[in-house]
Order: sequence, then C-alpha cells, then structure tokens
Amino acid sequence: MKYEIEETRILLRHAEDPDLATIEGYRSYGGYDTWQRALREMDPDEIVNELEESGLRGRGGAGFSMGKKVSFLPRGEQSKYLCCNADESEPGAFKDRELMQRNPHQLIEGIAIASYAAGAGHAFIFIRGEYDVQADILDRAVAEAYDAGFLGKDILGSGFDLELVVHRGAGAYICGEETALLDALEGKRGNPRLKPPFPAVQGLYGGPTLINNVETLSNVSHIVANGAEWFRSFGTEQSPGTKVVSISGRVRRPGNYEVQLGVPLAGLIMGLAGGPPGDHQVKAFYPGGSSSPVLTPAELDLPYSFEAMAEAGSMLGSGSIIVADDTVSIPHMALRTARFYHHESCGKCTPCREGTNWTVKMLERVVRGEATPMELDIITSVQDNIVGHCLCVLGDSMAMPVSAMVRKFREEFEQVIAEAALASVPVAGGNGNGAPVEVPAFAEMLERDRLQGRPVPAAEQRLAGEVGDATD
Amino acid sequence: MPRTEPNRVTLTIDGREIEADEGTMLVDAAREGDIEIPVFCYEPKLGEPVGACRMCLVEIEGIPKLQTSCSTPVRDGMVVHTRTGQVKEAQEAVVEFLLVNHPLDCPVCDKGGECPLQDISMGWGPDRNRMVDQKRHFEKPVPLSPLVAIDRERCILCYRCVRFSQEVSEDEQLQLLERGDGTYVGTFDDRPYIAPFQGNITELCPVGALTSYTYRFRARPWDIEQGGSVCTLCPSQCNVSFTVRDEQVVRVLARDNEEVDDGWLCDKGRYAFQAMYSEDRLLGPEVALDGHPTPVGWQEAAEAAATGLARAGSKTAVLVGDASNEEGYLLQRLLRQALGSTDIDSRRGPGLNGRSALALADPAISARISDIDTADLVIVIGTDPIQSAPSFDLRIRKAVRRNRTTLAVAADRPGALEAGAVEVARYEPGGAVAFVEKLAGQVKRGRAKAGIAGLIAESGQTVIVWGERIVRGGDGAAGALIALAEAAGLAEQEGSGLIGIPETANGRGLREAGCLPDAGPGLSPTGPGRDARAIREGLESGEIESVVLFGADPVRDLPDGDGWRRALEAADHVVAFSIARNESTEFADVLLPLESHAEKDGTVTHPDGRIQRVRPSARRPGEVRPAWMVLTELSAMLGVDTGIDSTPEALAALASAIPFYGGVTDSEIAGHGVRWQDRPAATSVGTPSPDLTLYADSPGPFNPHLAPGEGESAVENGAAVPAEELTPDSPTLTNGQLLLGTYRDLWADPAVDSSPALRFLTPAQRLELSGPDATRLGLRTGDEVSVRSGDESVNARVAVRAALPEGTCFLIEGTPADNANVLTSGSGGPVAVEIGPPEVRLDLVTAGGPVEGDEEA
Repeated sequence: MKYEIEETRILLRHAEDPDLATIEGYRSYGGYDTWQRALREMDPDEIVNELEESGLRGRGGAGFSMGKKVSFLPRGEQSKYLCCNADESEPGAFKDRELMQRNPHQLIEGIAIASYAAGAGHAFIFIRGEYDVQADILDRAVAEAYDAGFLGKDILGSGFDLELVVHRGAGAYICGEETALLDALEGKRGNPRLKPPFPAVQGLYGGPTLINNVETLSNVSHIVANGAEWFRSFGTEQSPGTKVVSISGRVRRPGNYEVQLGVPLAGLIMGLAGGPPGDHQVKAFYPGGSSSPVLTPAELDLPYSFEAMAEAGSMLGSGSIIVADDTVSIPHMALRTARFYHHESCGKCTPCREGTNWTVKMLERVVRGEATPMELDIITSVQDNIVGHCLCVLGDSMAMPVSAMVRKFREEFEQVIAEAALASVPVAGGNGNGAPVEVPAFAEMLERDRLQGRPVPAAEQRLAGEVGDATD
Repeated sequence: MPRTEPNRVTLTIDGREIEADEGTMLVDAAREGDIEIPVFCYEPKLGEPVGACRMCLVEIEGIPKLQTSCSTPVRDGMVVHTRTGQVKEAQEAVVEFLLVNHPLDCPVCDKGGECPLQDISMGWGPDRNRMVDQKRHFEKPVPLSPLVAIDRERCILCYRCVRFSQEVSEDEQLQLLERGDGTYVGTFDDRPYIAPFQGNITELCPVGALTSYTYRFRARPWDIEQGGSVCTLCPSQCNVSFTVRDEQVVRVLARDNEEVDDGWLCDKGRYAFQAMYSEDRLLGPEVALDGHPTPVGWQEAAEAAATGLARAGSKTAVLVGDASNEEGYLLQRLLRQALGSTDIDSRRGPGLNGRSALALADPAISARISDIDTADLVIVIGTDPIQSAPSFDLRIRKAVRRNRTTLAVAADRPGALEAGAVEVARYEPGGAVAFVEKLAGQVKRGRAKAGIAGLIAESGQTVIVWGERIVRGGDGAAGALIALAEAAGLAEQEGSGLIGIPETANGRGLREAGCLPDAGPGLSPTGPGRDARAIREGLESGEIESVVLFGADPVRDLPDGDGWRRALEAADHVVAFSIARNESTEFADVLLPLESHAEKDGTVTHPDGRIQRVRPSARRPGEVRPAWMVLTELSAMLGVDTGIDSTPEALAALASAIPFYGGVTDSEIAGHGVRWQDRPAATSVGTPSPDLTLYADSPGPFNPHLAPGEGESAVENGAAVPAEELTPDSPTLTNGQLLLGTYRDLWADPAVDSSPALRFLTPAQRLELSGPDATRLGLRTGDEVSVRSGDESVNARVAVRAALPEGTCFLIEGTPADNANVLTSGSGGPVAVEIGPPEVRLDLVTAGGPVEGDEEA
C-alpha cells in the first residue's frame, strides 16, 4: 500500500510563522489585499458567482455548497447577518482551533468578503466557550482589523459598513447546530429551531443570515484572489479544494494535516499520521468526526472526499478522523460516543432526548454483562428509530455511528457481554437495574414459610435452588 | 390589515382529496378531511409550531425525509400519506420514546381517561415495551404554585406550558431547565409560578404532569359531566365548560370561542367556582325578625319583601350588580311597572347614561373583540385589561406579538400592557375626558405627526378599547369618544371601532335591558330617575324608603362605602338578593339567595354586543331558586302579571322589549352567542321599546308623558338630577396633598375571598406612590401608612412605582379590608389625600401593647 502523500497547504500556509496572527504578519504575506480589491473592483454578485463556480463545500459537516448558500439570501435593503460558526465541539475536530489560533486574519478577511457578497452589515463569530486562547486571539485580531479600517463604518471609503463581534458560547455542543447557534446568539436557550424557515430566509433576529464554518470562510479570500478555476485545480470534481484534516486516536502523529480532497485515506492515517503505534493494526475509524459511521481497514483505500465517504455509507463531515486500533474495545467506544451525545442532547425533540438516554443505558448493561445478545437488536432498532425522526441532526449523530458499530462488530459486542457476565458474580435473580435479589435471605424466608406449612410457589422454589415437584 | 379570504388549495391525503385554505398546516387540513394525525406539542393557540414532539411525522411525496405535519403548510397538489409503513414505524418509535421515561402511573393519575398520551399510545403506539432500564426520577408531585402541582416524571416535555408562559401570557416565568433527558419544567430559583392565567397550563398539558390542586383526586372522567356556559365573574365573559360531579362544579375548563376568549381562561374564572360552595353562600331566604336574620320559607320571604315594597311604592329604588339580562329586565319592570319608580342603577359610579350608551351603541362605530387580532392599531384608554377584563389583555398581547399590531395606551395608572406599547400617554386621575377630547381634536385637525393622534392618522384598521371608568371623569366622555371615532373615521374602516369595557360583568347587558335611571329596555329614554349616588342620598334623607339590592354590594363596590352603610341603616326596608353574605346584606330586612353562574339560566351581553347564554350545569344548593321566578312572583304579588312562566319566555320578553335584540332566540344564541350588531334588527337602535307603554299605567309618580323621545328635554329642564352634573372637577391640591385615583384589582372580588384556592391572592391595600413623592415623604416600598381624606382614612402599604407621575397616587377599590371606596366621594372621582403614619385600629390592638410602647418611649 502506498502511504506516502504530500500536504497541500493553502489555509495553513505560513502557519509556522508566529507573526501570522498579527495584522502586520498577515499583511506581509499579502493579507487583506483581496478584501481591498473586492471592495474597489468587485460587485457582490461577482463574488457570489466566483464562490458558486469554485464548488467550495461547507467544511462544518453538512458539505453544502457555500456559494449556493450565499445566493439563497434575498437581495435588497434589509438587515442581513453573517454568523461564523466557530463552536467546534465535535469529538475529534480541532482544525478550526488551529486556523483561528494561527491565522485569525485569514478568517476575518473571509468574513468581510462573504459579508460584502451577502450584503450583511453585521457579522458574528460564535466561538465555543472553551476556546479561550483562540477567542482572545480573535478579539485582538478583530481590534487590529478595525484599527486598520478593514472593519467598521464606510470601510476604505467604499460606503460598505460591517460590524464584527466575537461571541463566546457557554459550552454546549448543540450550539454548533446553526439554528441553536442563532438562538444562543440572541440570548435564548440554545435549542435548534424548526426548519423551514431556513436561516438564509429568516435567521438571526428574524433577518436573512448566512452561517458558515471557520474553515469555509477561511477559504473565501483565496478563492476570490485566485479565482474559481484555481480552486478547482485542487481536490476532486465534486469535492474541490483542500481540507484541513484533524487526525487523532491511536496514531503515531496525531494533528492537523491540510491535504487535497480525494487523497487516499491510508495516506492520511498510515502515511501522514503514521498509523497505530507498535505492531498494532487499525481496527476501525471515524472518517468525519464522532458522528460519522465507523469504517473498517477494508475501506482505507477509499479516496477521502465527500462523495466517496457518502458512498461508503459514512460521511466526511468536519473532516476529523479518529482511529481505533486493536487495543480499543468497540463496545466501550460505542458507549463513550453515546454518552457524549446523551450529555449534549438539548432535550427538545423526543427521539433524540429519549433515544440517547435509552441507548446509553443499554450499552452500559452491555459492558456490564447484564444484557442479552437479543438486546443488540433492540439497540440497532432504537438507532433506526432515531435516524431521520429528529428536529436536528444531533440524534442521528449518535445513532449512525452506534448502529454502524453494533452492526459491523456484533461479535465483539456479544463477546463483551459474555466476558463481563462471567467476570461478575452470578446472582440468581436481578431486575436489570443492578439490584440483585439477595438469595440467602430469600431462601431463609422460603424455609420459614415451608416450616409453617405454607405452599411455596414453584417458580420461587427454582429461584431458591430447590428443584422440587412443581405440583407441591 | 382587514381580514382577507385565503385561497383554497386541493391536496391528497391518504388518497382522499381535501380542500383547505392556503397556509393551513397539514395536520389541520387532514382533520378537515376526517384524517387524524396525532400531536402532542402542536397547539395553534400557542402561536408558531415548534415541531418538538415529532409525533405528527408524515410522508410527503417528493420529500425523502418524513415531515412534521404540524409545521408544514399545505400546497396545491401535495400528496401526503399518514398510514404507510414508514410513517407507522416513526409513530410507534415516538410513542415508545415518550414512554421510556413516563412512569405509566395511570391508575393514580388524574389525567387518566382524558389523557392524550393514553389515547395516542393506544391508537398509534407499539403494543409492546422493550425498555427494562430505570426511568428518571423526580420528587413528585411538587407545587409549581399554590394552584398547580407539577409531576415531572409524567412530563413529556412537549413545551406547551412553557410556550404559554412565554408567548401567550408573556409572564416568562416557566422555563425549561437543564437539558437532554434531564430537562424539566420549572421557574427560576424554584420560585412559585404566580401569574393570573396559570390555570391554562393544566389544560394544555397533554399528560398528568400539571394538575390543579382544586381537582386532584376529585373525580374520574367517567363520573363527571361537562356543561357549557359562560363565566360571569368579569366583563370578558369567557366561555367555559363546567365539570360537574354529583351535581356540583368541581372544575372549570375553557371552552374555545375565538369570538370571545380565544380559548383562554383567567385563574379567577377557573378557580373561583369554589365560592359556590363556600360557607358564606346563602342557601335559603331569610327575614330579619327583631333585627336577627331568621331562615324562613320562600312564601314568607316573598310576602315580607312584597309588603315592604308595596308600602314604599314609588319610594323604592333598585341597585343591580351582577345579574343576567332577564333578571335586569324583570327588575326594572318590577320597579317601573309595579311600583312606579324609575330609581334604578346598575353602574358602579357615574357611568354611561342612557343617551350616551345609545349613541355609543351605533353598530357602525362598534368593533368586535376579534377585530383586535387583525387591527393595525389598538388604543387602550382608561383601563388595564389585566385587572378589568383579563382575556382582553391576552388578546391585545397576541395582536402585538403575532400581527405586529401597534399598541397605544392612555391611562391614569401605569398598566400591564404598557411594556408592549409604542405610545403611552398618562393623564391625571379624573383627566380621561379632557384627554380624549384633546385627542379627538388633534385627530380632527389632522396635523399630528407624533403621539397617539399621529398613530391614528397613519393607521388603517383601528380598535379603541376604553374602560367605563373614564366616565367618572365626566359624562362628556361619551361625546368625546364619539368625536374621536368620527375624527378617526372608524365607521368607514372595516374592522375598526370602539369596545367599551364596563365595570361589571354584564354592565352592557343590564344597560340594554333597562337598568339605568334614564333609560328603559333598548336604551329608550324614560323619565330620569335617581342614579346610585342620588339613591344613597335619598335613602339617607328619607325620600326613598325601600331599596332592592340585586347582586349588589354597595358598601364594598360603590364609591363612598361608609355613606352606603349609613344609607342602608337609614332605609326603612332593604331587600337583598345575593349569592353570599356581605357587608350590605347585613342591613337586609329580607335576604333572598341568588344562583351562581353555574346554576343560572339566562343571557348576558358581552362588551362587544355578543348575546351569550349562561346555561345551568350544577344543582342549586339548598333552597336557592331561580331569580327570574322570584321576580315574576314578586311582580304578581304587587299586581303586575308579567306573563312569564319559564326562562324561554323571559328571553322572549327581553328580546321583544329591546328593539335591537329583535326577537333573538336561544337557538340563534346557541353555543357561541350572537352579536346583536350582526342581526338585521341592529338597525332598530334608537327605536323606542314597546315596553314603555306598560309603564304608562304605573301607579306611582312615574310620568307617562315623559316616555319616548321626551326624556331629553326633561333632563335639560332639571326635572331630576342628570348623571353628568354629579361629576366633580379635579380637586385642588393643598400643600403636601396627593391626587388619589383608584382602580379595581382583579383579585379584589368576593368570589376570590370565598375560594380557598385563591384566597392567597386577595389583595391587601397598597398605596402606589411615585418615586419623587415617596422620597419627599421619606417612604419606601413596604412601609405602612394611612391615606386620609377629610374624616376618612385607610391603612396601606407603600409600593413605589417609577412609572407613576409625581403628585398622583393609587389605591385599590373593593379590598376586603381598608377599602379605598371610603375615601372616594359619591362620584368615585379623584380626591385629594394626605399620607400619614398608619392609624392604629382598635381591633388590632392587643391588651397592653401600645401602653408598653409608650412606656418605652
């Protein structure tokens, strides 16, 4: 297998330069030139066209065409908004963190150009509360951009106004869901909204709103600077461009790697990340964050693109690969995954709220050895009952990987149940809630009853270990 | 924007072709085609759908994923399936999920038998249970408020109660706390949920999570009956359904009527049914023998009443408080026809006189309450609906929230709606008429760009809601309102008009039935009689010897409570019809029990002219008899045969006596009432009542030649005291004095005092002061003070309100203790008061208490 692939750095270019985070450093590499040129020479529609032509797909998870999204916003005079989704909370994803930390101005320039294209006068960066360092860096960078006149009123004399606010979230995964993000930004409980209406029509404060991921917006200035055709020279037909891929888990060199979309998965996992340590073998991996159905080593040859991952029954999602090798227990990984989504479910819609909770309880019994193999069928059936029935995709995000794990590694689940059951002290009864029936005391009671001449029910006799005549 | 007819579209659901209005949600359209789609969270009354419960998922051709039918508007040509395998799987999945954490304690749950979760589980759920794990646990039940218990284990988190609190009553106290399956409904910091509409959440709850303490464990669905009727505890006249067990009311539910209440009910309407069974309730007639009330039979009581009334003859007066149209009609007829007096009043102070009421009854300038929903502009003048007619408050909030209606409020006292108003105008107590006159002038001149006049100039459909209390500032109010209506062109704009909120529940109906001193049935001018204040003076001076109080408690409800005490004391003969004992009935020589609104059969008239029927649902307790029957018997004893032997006959008599009710029948009124302005007879406004001829032969000094059309000149000639002359000018304030205004609090109501569940809401007297005045007087919120006017004073606790202008202060009228009406003069208008240290009341002084204090000093 050929593992050797090269990184293609566009977004992470010059990332090693610590000065890149300052406006001087950024400008020394030509930063904000595109923003100035766009304001001077380009019509918003021209930019929208360029973005549409480029085929840039959203890097937050859904992979929807960014240009199309912008074009959905109604034209004309009304309050429009742009929200940058920097609430990167998916287990396994840490690419936005690096992009914001190393190159905040690339994001700000992208936001400015996209806001201009969309006609949005207010932009927000909704950053997850735990990204404290990155938020400070962004705060500084935004202040620098204001000082340099790239943000604010009548930018560079163009007549275009843009206010950019960095807003820190309060640490809820659900706020990364675009409509929950809007509610949270408005000061409400961060719960997803019903769609339609889509944010492009009725979003923040009821106004048309463009919501994009950090990485998506970071691409904007490069596309506008170099043209759609240049962008399309990277990646595949349906997945143009490069992708910053976060690789973590059981690999030798975890980290962010920027590659052209369509490179072989093996090149990423085995090549760039170095594969599992020692002699260990890849057992399974999430190709696109913890919400993507796991793939197996047989699928390592696939090209890493939106379309190939979808065809394999999984998804590229946010482009975060988590690798499990043969030291990892898949049932425990399933439980860990389910616990995360159970903890983060907002509770608004029924299937997600109750399904995540029920799944966790069942998987806990699996690893405790208190389940039966039949219950594995119930687990998969519950996952099927969640998928497609929820208000947002959080429920699906648990159901799809858990279901894939149970289906693809069923034998291991059965084995874990059997081993865990053997390891625990067997009890003669139990209600499945971890409260075993105390056999000696029960037997004593039966003995007392028998001495007093009361008939003992047959079932209880068996429970007490007294195999006797059922007609007694 | 006026109502527009929506387009009709055709779609197919389960192979059935269905026609529906464009924009209708799929779930509603399906119902029109007799196809039921189960729902939990969907409730159109709560506004926009949230799509949270996922119960209503359906398959729509062309869309790969199942869609929530509660949030999908119908489109022409849509093909929908609600019974395919895919849909069935989803429905079973959702029910199974809902039951994962539901305790299934149906045998001990009050909702059992009338529970949507039970019904939907049976109808659409799987018939098996695969869940063997521990369910979530909460302490159960815990009080959410003194009225509502919450069982969080049963809650399926459908959001309904929270949406009600946030988007309908807008009190925003109910919240979802925590998240995921740990989510629960609660309030900030576990404070009790205190809001005037909270009972609605018990009805919205699709499971047994929210239950009323008044109904818990009282009945099962199979031992109750529902009786549709109308609540007559305030002018909103919300439609209700009484839950009756063993012939007693045990619960009150809202009965949706979009044209009246929009499906909501305030807590007074919901919980004050307890007063029907309180200890204070009168269960049989009593006659005062040697000054002691003694139970007697009806015959004896009626004879005692008739004897006294016959003795006083035309020196008899009648005060009507809460009564049906028929009762009011029969009362005025008894007085006018049998006793030859015309001294009758149904208002709580100077209110609309007959002439004004007639002018304002013009259908062209009358709006219906549902016009508020679509109005461009709603102006509220001189009333705070949350106190005077709560369902109006919700209605106006809804218009502002969902229709972006512009709201303007003009009032002397800061009210609940002002937060959502674009314009707020403040006038001093008693200044309403001057304010409306000025506003009418501004609108007429048409130059106003700002203020309320500016809003009127730029708005289309305009509804003006005004409170009858503004008339206390002078009867010029009616003229000013009509001038305003003319200047604003309300008659020309569809859906525009005035709605007056009377001071009593059936104020409008009683007016139209003839319970005014200067107007008989149909507001026909009659010889002017004494109004309430003149009656009180007449009683004190001996010019009036006998008084009939019908559902009226003047000592509590009318201005100058102490004056009324003296007047009733001085009266030779007092006949009191009352539901319960009160301060006024203590003076009764004959005390006759009345029916409650759950027992009564009759009609009432909504502030917007809708004639509604109060239907009997519960058994009359004790010896209580229908009042119409007692009144016709009394009439007969006094020599007038009314010819009325049944309630239909009473309605028929009323409907022919009021020309513009023009023979309205019970079947026309039906369940949802009929607005008389919408009937052909509405053109008869101003036609004299045929009944006037009945009074021509009356024995007393009633002057027959004053009948049709001539009353007006008599008023001008000063033949009697016309109401408007009684209105005082604003008093002049001397040093340190404040101008006192009063308002009637929603909870200052005898029905609240007598309902154990609501008693905690009975208001103690409070003095609302402006910030500057409070500072000047060195007072803070919570301080105890006395408020004095002349020889009278009441004690109150201070509440400093920022929105109150300097120099004015407010007290509550009708409180059980420290009633502000002892301070108000006979007109009920504003008075100048002084604030001082609290008066030590003898009944509160314990032996030695103050003496010890003195020694210490």
